[in-house]
Amino acid sequence: MTELSLRLAVSLAQIAAVMGIVMLTVMILTLAERKVLGWMQDRMGPMEVGPYGILQPIADGLKLFFKEDIVPAGANKAMFTLAPLLAMVPAMIGFAVIPFGPSVTLDAFGITIKPFVISDINIGILYILAFASIGAYGIILGGWSSNSKYSLLGGLRSAAQVISYELNVGLAIVGVLLLAGSLSLVTITEAQAGGFWHWFIWGARPDGFFPIHTQIFAFVVFVISAVAETNRVPFDLPEAESELVAGFFTEYSGMRFAFFFIAEYANMVLVSCVAASLFLGGWNAPYPGTILGYVGLERLAWVENVAWFTFKVYLFLFLFFWLRATLPRLRYDQLMRFGWKVMLPIALANIVVTAITAYFFPRG
Amino acid sequence: MNLKTWIKTITFYELLAGMKATMSHLLHYRPITLQYPHEKRTLPDNYRGMLALLRYDDGTEKCVGCDLCEAACPSRVIRVVSAEVPGEPTKRYSKEYYMDMTRCLFCGMCVDACPVDALGMTREFEWAVYDKRQLHLNKQQLLAIGDRSFPVREEQLEFQHPNVAFFNVAFKHLPQKPS
Repeated sequence: MTELSLRLAVSLAQIAAVMGIVMLTVMILTLAERKVLGWMQDRMGPMEVGPYGILQPIADGLKLFFKEDIVPAGANKAMFTLAPLLAMVPAMIGFAVIPFGPSVTLDAFGITIKPFVISDINIGILYILAFASIGAYGIILGGWSSNSKYSLLGGLRSAAQVISYELNVGLAIVGVLLLAGSLSLVTITEAQAGGFWHWFIWGARPDGFFPIHTQIFAFVVFVISAVAETNRVPFDLPEAESELVAGFFTEYSGMRFAFFFIAEYANMVLVSCVAASLFLGGWNAPYPGTILGYVGLERLAWVENVAWFTFKVYLFLFLFFWLRATLPRLRYDQLMRFGWKVMLPIALANIVVTAITAYFFPRG
Repeated sequence: MNLKTWIKTITFYELLAGMKATMSHLLHYRPITLQYPHEKRTLPDNYRGMLALLRYDDGTEKCVGCDLCEAACPSRVIRVVSAEVPGEPTKRYSKEYYMDMTRCLFCGMCVDACPVDALGMTREFEWAVYDKRQLHLNKQQLLAIGDRSFPVREEQLEFQHPNVAFFNVAFKHLPQKPS
């Protein structure tokens, strides 16, 4: 009984810490996106709240918190309330299986704790994909229950888009799963240890340098599909400002709107974490081992690993902003053709090639 | 599709060229925007801002109530009520003068039309108000704008002889034309 309650307390503490970090990242992202977009367009971005506008996320949060909560006439109230939760919870829940740092274990109070992953379940990546699909229900329900034509169109677009591109995400990671021989993100990350040539984007075997199992095509497919899945520019058809006002959350205001907003950014962080873990070696440094480990500070090596993970995740997040500053929105038929006739064949061909090379040149 | 185009397509060449452009703007960051309420841009010399009624250096109004501005205005902003100067049957002035600035398009035609240069365009542009009735200006308000925007006033010219009926009101206080 005491052990069970102790485990529960540790898990809750880990969940609180991860949630806090994710929400903090979302706050940073809302500001960073506006700043980076501004700089890329020769503007300054927000400058009013605090020095150089760094307190803008707090002001935005307070504003959304105190805004009137409007439910449109004719809306299905239950669904209207449920939709933001359905969008936000799956975006948050995926972080449970992300390894943020090395898989060291800690023995404290008589139980074994893994400090850098909440739950190392053996179907990790499948679990993330499953919950990401539930997130699409939030968007579709939000669009349908608003009783507005713009919302409905945004929701419908989102449904078609998420189905098309989730398939590509699923197929793009199959190569990585073949090579790592596991669905657990912890195992996949550990399989990429020992220098950047062992990362799955490069794909050298554990004893060599030659990129025999390179997953670079899968990586490109994954990143593009991830952008599409998170409804970001240039695949932001569900919320297309210039066509659909704001798409599926046209009728939302106040905290419900904030939930959709947080869900979008949390999804960005989640797919960045997954991309970093699957293709860029997760918390592994691009050189074998860690510098802190070499200079005799093995106990602090996790700091370096966590820093590398954070760096990779923020690199992806910067890519999201960069794409948004550069690319115009795709047309609907272009989106569908690109998904089904370009991305899908590449992903399938990658599976075949990876399977053949992994059979003839097995990894150890 | 030839080989070159094909290679450009599969390497996302066009997208990368675009992303290079945005990245170069990020790296050579020189904002062209101004933090408006804190820093204001330099207005050009011929800036056409808020309209104002002007006075001569001795404080008399320039306006002779001729209604030409009202006729020149394309948006029917101006309404002039002309009247005789009390006790001076040959002289006229604008008894009332109204401008509905909600309609004004700042073309400056009234200023061009004025024969006595009684109208001026100031450099004021921050005229946002909560109640648009506040933009319906009367003669006193327009004169006040003129007073604060044109502190250096024009002298009454010599040719504004009391016998010339068209020019103006306050001839009584003028020195006589030297003979």
